[in-house]
Amino acid sequence: MKGGHTVSLQIVVNGLATGSVYALIATGFSLIFNVLKFSNFSHGALMTLSAFAGYFIAAQRGLGLIPTVLVAMVTGALVALAGEFIAFRRITLHNTSPVYFFVSSITLGTMFEGIVTVKVGANFYNYPQFFQNATIKLGNVVISTSDLLMFCCSAVALLVLAYIIQKTRVGRGLRSVSFDRDTASLMGIDVTRTIQFTFLVSGALAGLAGVFLGINYTLYPTLGSLVVKGFIASVIGGLGSLSGAIIGAVLLGLIETLSISMVGSGYTPVITFLLMLVFLLVRPSGIAGSNIQEKA
Amino acid sequence: MALYLSIFTQILITIVAVSGVYVLTGLTGMFSLGQAAFMAVGSYASGILVVKLGVPFPLACVLAVIIAVAIGYVVGFPTVRLRRDYISLVTLGFGEAITALLNRATKLTGGASGFIGIPKKTTFLMALLSAIAAIALVSWFKTSKYGRQCIAVRSDELAAKAMGINVPKVKMTAFLFSVAVTAFSGCLYAFYITYVDPTIFGWKKSADWVIMVFFGGVNSLTGSVAGAFILSGLPELLRSLDQYRSIIYAILVLLIINFKPSGIFGEWELTFGNLKKLGSRRSRKALKEGKN
Amino acid sequence: MALLEVKNIHKSFGGVKAIQDFSLEANPGEIHGIIGPNGAGKTTIFNVISGVYAADQGSVTLDSKNITKMEQHMITREGMGRTFQNIRLFKGLNVLENVLCAFDPQSKYSIVGGLLPTPKRRSEEKRGREICEHFLEMVGMTAFLNERPENLAYGMQRRVEIARALTCNPKVLLLDEPAAGLNPTEVAELTELIQRLSKEIGFAILLIEHRLELVMSISHQIHVQNFGKTIAVGTPAEVQHNPEVIEAYLGKEE
Repeated sequence: MKGGHTVSLQIVVNGLATGSVYALIATGFSLIFNVLKFSNFSHGALMTLSAFAGYFIAAQRGLGLIPTVLVAMVTGALVALAGEFIAFRRITLHNTSPVYFFVSSITLGTMFEGIVTVKVGANFYNYPQFFQNATIKLGNVVISTSDLLMFCCSAVALLVLAYIIQKTRVGRGLRSVSFDRDTASLMGIDVTRTIQFTFLVSGALAGLAGVFLGINYTLYPTLGSLVVKGFIASVIGGLGSLSGAIIGAVLLGLIETLSISMVGSGYTPVITFLLMLVFLLVRPSGIAGSNIQEKA
Repeated sequence: MALYLSIFTQILITIVAVSGVYVLTGLTGMFSLGQAAFMAVGSYASGILVVKLGVPFPLACVLAVIIAVAIGYVVGFPTVRLRRDYISLVTLGFGEAITALLNRATKLTGGASGFIGIPKKTTFLMALLSAIAAIALVSWFKTSKYGRQCIAVRSDELAAKAMGINVPKVKMTAFLFSVAVTAFSGCLYAFYITYVDPTIFGWKKSADWVIMVFFGGVNSLTGSVAGAFILSGLPELLRSLDQYRSIIYAILVLLIINFKPSGIFGEWELTFGNLKKLGSRRSRKALKEGKN
Repeated sequence: MALLEVKNIHKSFGGVKAIQDFSLEANPGEIHGIIGPNGAGKTTIFNVISGVYAADQGSVTLDSKNITKMEQHMITREGMGRTFQNIRLFKGLNVLENVLCAFDPQSKYSIVGGLLPTPKRRSEEKRGREICEHFLEMVGMTAFLNERPENLAYGMQRRVEIARALTCNPKVLLLDEPAAGLNPTEVAELTELIQRLSKEIGFAILLIEHRLELVMSISHQIHVQNFGKTIAVGTPAEVQHNPEVIEAYLGKEE
């Protein structure tokens, strides 16, 4: 009985750690969805790109975890900013049909992935071991150091983000632009600046998530396809809701860990996908219940 | 010669797949990032039916398409009522799930090492006829009431509803039709290459198809077919640039979206009427220039 | 029982009460004007009646059928046609095709006809064309069948939108600011068109309009809305002399 208890606690701990990374992905994605109302499919490839930048610029030279994370975040932020300029600026300004956002983001994604592939080929890379003790033991529960770190870093990053959005001027701007871009512009908010800021933050989150994914798995050019976890999390949480995305991500992390312990990692994507379908049938507006409607 | 024939056959198979994508993305404005996964369903289902169950090839194709459409219905059902983003996100998840399933169900699919021993049944002629048939069906669909309603839904869902159009039903029809066409291209593919593995059906392939549709012109089937032809043919000719391929495409498409969002062909379709118009405009222009 | 009965509908968004207790009864051949300053909830009334939004309270009955909770496209099929304040014609289709879209849900051929040029498809397409051309002729747009709506003048786009709404065979027609952006000549033509349609087809028309001269001259009854509430109902003459209306609406405007 006691053993079962420990196992379930272990699942909760692992699930929370996984969920926290998914939360980073989902919020990065949701931020842009909130402001520009489209699904940014380049987010995954941006994670890969920044994770590799962290690897080549910092980790490979033995600079340790913090520089690696910083390099990845800065790269992510800058590349996202550049991406906004190349791929989305004109569409936003000209108010062209939103379908172009899809194509632009998909194209941008293939471009990022293409750049990574040119640099590394189809090879797999590994971040060096960042910690001396790989695991910490708390009672009967074993926590890997990287999991603990992931959880803490994600929590801090999300708290900082929440503070920025709720309390600062630029955060208020972001909220009003996401509510109604035209009115915000009339109220004297610099919409382009706000959008740039959103991409900057989203890119930094992508960088952070990329490094963690790289630590958890290995570094390879299609690492970014794990972004689908973030997408599923935001669908479960309610598309467009940041808090919903975080809740959805944690829930997904827990479900996945549970599913892996029961049916193995192979079938887990199938289980989570089916769960998402059921969820959409039962509660299409997601946990947060904020369903973004097209304007009448 | 044999090499060119082989390249050409593969291009034709891609054209079949892309004409399916055109129905969904070009006509209806929806994006499926799991479209390649439906091609996988077509490939694997037909392959398994023929190799493991001894079903004749034509019947296997029909069954594979039916299976794909049935799966498509399950995937589409919760999403067609919602914002269009959902279908992209859900199909992307579907793609991942299918890849996992194919990798895992080793007994049936051969797992990660691929499904081998599929007999070679697809010929150049068959691919050509299939491409022609696919293009014909799609263009008839486009000019029917279904196609019109798809365009209306793409343009303005709310106004479409206000005209009595059953928007979820129209979206579902377009989705299933496109799934059927793409799944069929999967059958052709499997029985041409004689080998399939899970990695070739990732989201990247679906993304490539979307790019082909937009490259040629999102509102024009002619453009989509031309896009498929050019973009799937080029890399075969430029083998040495293979690793830069996706980057070059991406830059091309970004340029097009930024500066000529309607794609190369815009809304122009290859029909007798339009050819005549083009001809007369040319000759008039030539006449004018001659006068000057 | 009246053709259209709107009973005590309420609708709020977040904390904003867009409609409070709106009621209306309309019969064939009648024209009802709905006026009021911007933000008075006029378009929301149309959106609730035509099923874009579900009412929080109250009911809408069309031809003795309760349509309050029906889906938008089903309400249209029951006989509700509408136009939009900010013209919403379909991009990527020409004028005739735009109007055909309103016929398509009534067209009777299956997916087989959707994929192959069957005789059934041909005859139905022909029938649709004739009906749509008839309505386009009614609004005087016959000469522009193959034009793209975005290339037409504003007034013409409005007419196409009206023809499209007519093709839905409406028992009730909702016109949302049909005169917005038109010049005086076009307004006069539009006034004449609305009256002619009302007589020839004999449906009930609900009309949201800012141009008072237009509403006052053709409406049988006028509802004045302000901040989601109905502040006056009556004939144009009654409403014009209502002090509350003068203060809330006319006074505010100028």
